Amino acid sequence: MDWNYIQGILMLAGINLIAVLGLCLLTGFTGLFSFGHAGFMAIGAYIGALMTVSPNSTPGGLGLPLIVGIVAGGAAAGLVSWGLGSITLKLKGDYFCIATLGFGEAIRLVLNNIQVFGGARGWPGVPHYTTLLVVVIAGVIGVWFLANLVRSRHGRNMIAVREEELAAQIAGVDVVKYKMIALVTSAVYTGVAGVLFGHYLTFLQPKMFNMTKSTELTIIVIFGGLGSISGSVLGALILTALPEVLRAFDIWRLVFYGAAVILIMISRPQGLMGGMELSPAGIRKLTAARRLRQEQKKARAAENAEGGAS
Amino acid sequence: MSDILVVKNLTKRFGGLAAVNDVSFNVRRDGIMGLIGPNGAGKTTIFNLITGVYKVTEGSVEFDGKAITDMEPFKIADAGVTRTFQNIRLFKNLSVYDNVLTACHLSAKYSIAESILRLPRFVREEKALNEKATALLEIMGLTDRKDVTANNLPYGLQRRLEIVRALALDPQLLLLDEPAAGMNPDETEQLMRLIVDIRQRFKLSVLVIEHHMDLVMGICEDIVVLSFGQKLAEGLPDEVASDPKVVEAYLGSSGGNSKC
Amino acid sequence: MNQLLQQLVNGLSIGSVYALMAVGYSLVYSIMNFSNFAHGGVIMLGAYFGFFGLTALKLPFFVAFIVASVGTALLAVLIERIAYKPLRARRAPFLYFIISAMGASIFLENIVIATIGPTFRTYPVIFSRDPIAFGPIAVGRLDLIMFAISAVCLFGLILFIEKTKTGKAIQAAAYNMKACALMGVNTDRVVLLVFALGGFLAGVAGVFFGMKYTVYPQIGNITTKSFIAAVFGGLGSLPGAVIGSVLLGTIETLVSGYISSQYRDLIAFVILIGVLIVRPTGIMGKSAEDKA
Repeated sequence: MDWNYIQGILMLAGINLIAVLGLCLLTGFTGLFSFGHAGFMAIGAYIGALMTVSPNSTPGGLGLPLIVGIVAGGAAAGLVSWGLGSITLKLKGDYFCIATLGFGEAIRLVLNNIQVFGGARGWPGVPHYTTLLVVVIAGVIGVWFLANLVRSRHGRNMIAVREEELAAQIAGVDVVKYKMIALVTSAVYTGVAGVLFGHYLTFLQPKMFNMTKSTELTIIVIFGGLGSISGSVLGALILTALPEVLRAFDIWRLVFYGAAVILIMISRPQGLMGGMELSPAGIRKLTAARRLRQEQKKARAAENAEGGAS
Repeated sequence: MSDILVVKNLTKRFGGLAAVNDVSFNVRRDGIMGLIGPNGAGKTTIFNLITGVYKVTEGSVEFDGKAITDMEPFKIADAGVTRTFQNIRLFKNLSVYDNVLTACHLSAKYSIAESILRLPRFVREEKALNEKATALLEIMGLTDRKDVTANNLPYGLQRRLEIVRALALDPQLLLLDEPAAGMNPDETEQLMRLIVDIRQRFKLSVLVIEHHMDLVMGICEDIVVLSFGQKLAEGLPDEVASDPKVVEAYLGSSGGNSKC
Repeated sequence: MNQLLQQLVNGLSIGSVYALMAVGYSLVYSIMNFSNFAHGGVIMLGAYFGFFGLTALKLPFFVAFIVASVGTALLAVLIERIAYKPLRARRAPFLYFIISAMGASIFLENIVIATIGPTFRTYPVIFSRDPIAFGPIAVGRLDLIMFAISAVCLFGLILFIEKTKTGKAIQAAAYNMKACALMGVNTDRVVLLVFALGGFLAGVAGVFFGMKYTVYPQIGNITTKSFIAAVFGGLGSLPGAVIGSVLLGTIETLVSGYISSQYRDLIAFVILIGVLIVRPTGIMGKSAEDKA
């Protein structure tokens, strides 16, 4: 168990985390489910690579530093998501899911067929710029941004959209605008994750960004618990590290994922931390809720005692 | 002073069926008006048309002199018209406090960037929002329950919370959809006093859909009666109560239900 | 002109396979209001069941066929019991169903990869590959049989739903599950039946797919296209699923033939986006406004 190996796992977990944070906002806080976010990861990865790959490579790029790749990749993903959102956000929940599914697959197919990015055979030679430090910095910034966004009126508006869309509208929330904000932000996060992913593997292939990858990301958010940033962090760490630790059972990894998802849905859909946070405020809320439940129990017991006596 | 709400020739058709057919009425500024009628008469549909949830087929809605017909629901709410729902639509998993705080957002203007970077305007306006939410809960007697999850509130308080949430938007017109549904006479009386109180304290006009006749007769200053989507009668409570058309619509020929 | 007709015939034959798959999606959607993404996995296993029936068990064709389809019917029911019934009991929001379905789909695809292995399997040749000539047009024997059996199955299904008492129960449940239960219909059994029917058709489709192409664990992904066909025709409408499938198959084949085969798969998604923008409820779907 050498440091390089552990580093690798941590980096992958961090990359997954950044992608998952995006979905945390979109799904966990705004209530929109996407089965196509791997498409945004792909856009980020390929545009990022376009920026950084040396012009001498085939396919060639612009040879610029990683930060340009990150900005360009994230922006590209955000832009595409804005286009997608303009078409699909007005659709009812089920149809929105279908649209994201179609989108994810369409991106993969387009990348498969465009030869300028290497087509189905892939794009080798992406410079190895991703280090643990980069991932950690990006992760910390990502969590900080999201936490601050969620604890503001903008975050509350998104939560309102998740809870009760019609009531949110009546409460003055521009539902379409906030869904779009959530979608674009989630796409940018996932796009940046894609950039880091490409510069870690140094190799890109469209089939890495398939429907299974999209579903994996959504699964992590649900496993961690909807409406909880710490849940997404824990979920990403656990679900990335665990299969790596059980490396020998690589083919079975997805089998267990699938079974685990069903199990979570039927027994504990709130996931690990649904609605709760590992923060000072979150813990205070938990203890307050527990105290309230105990008081209610005591009050009920007192009532019953009285009722019995009379 | 002009009327706060002018509804003109409002019609809504679903396919071939006219749920609301050529309905016109005015809501007096600072008044409490009742919208009554048998079930299925189209009352909630009218609320939905006024608040932009449904698009009108024909007709117009004017609020405070401005046309709001077919505006986006959130813009109508911003303009000053808020409502409660027949089947309570609270943010069920949020606390009482958060339900109200979420609705308080109108007075804050800080941008997303300002929230992320926690700039001074964010801090200032957040503080103001929190003060407003706390004050509202205090006025409406929900302070001791402010951390309770909305779903766990007793039914009567859930209805009250919905009203508080509607008030958080500083409305000038409050639409209440069967606020007394499921309440016993005591609770209904409390509610009646509450409505009169908030009308005065917050200086607003109220349009209320109700089946509880004691509430309607007790606090409504004007009444509009709807039946099968059409306006049947309009006027002062006593006039309407003695109108033979109204009596027939409610009691029918078999002397049927008085409480739906 | 002849080429056009030939392409149309090819499109029709693909369309009929899509139709068998799409009908399964629409059937479940009409009752339970969610898109059963596990359906693809069931179709895939149908292909495998048929394959092993023919090769390992050396069953005669029609027996293997029936065995595979009954197998998938049972599988579909099993999935329903494990992954959906607990959610139904809890009145979970429909999105939980979709996630559970996704989980089942991933599970099925990967358990096949892990156990049987990812190599492609080819069905033994049952029908002669010589096409039958209808004038200038050549139609493969397999295609003819596929078309015929698909048509029979689909007609049978539609007749069942329209004319029998149980079929009417299914229609009623599709309209309003709760009211149906109040009228004394055993809605649990209706759901079981719907999944069994969908599963049976999935088996038929899977075997045909395996016969026409090859058998591999990722067949479930192809069925995404039949899902798009169901959306195109109108989720929840059986005739819509058939129409959407036939149209999709034909358009696909025409595009592939006249423009480029590279765009064959992409056209399905273009159609999807188009449908969602213009008329999300599809050709035969009905729209519903949210009641406040």
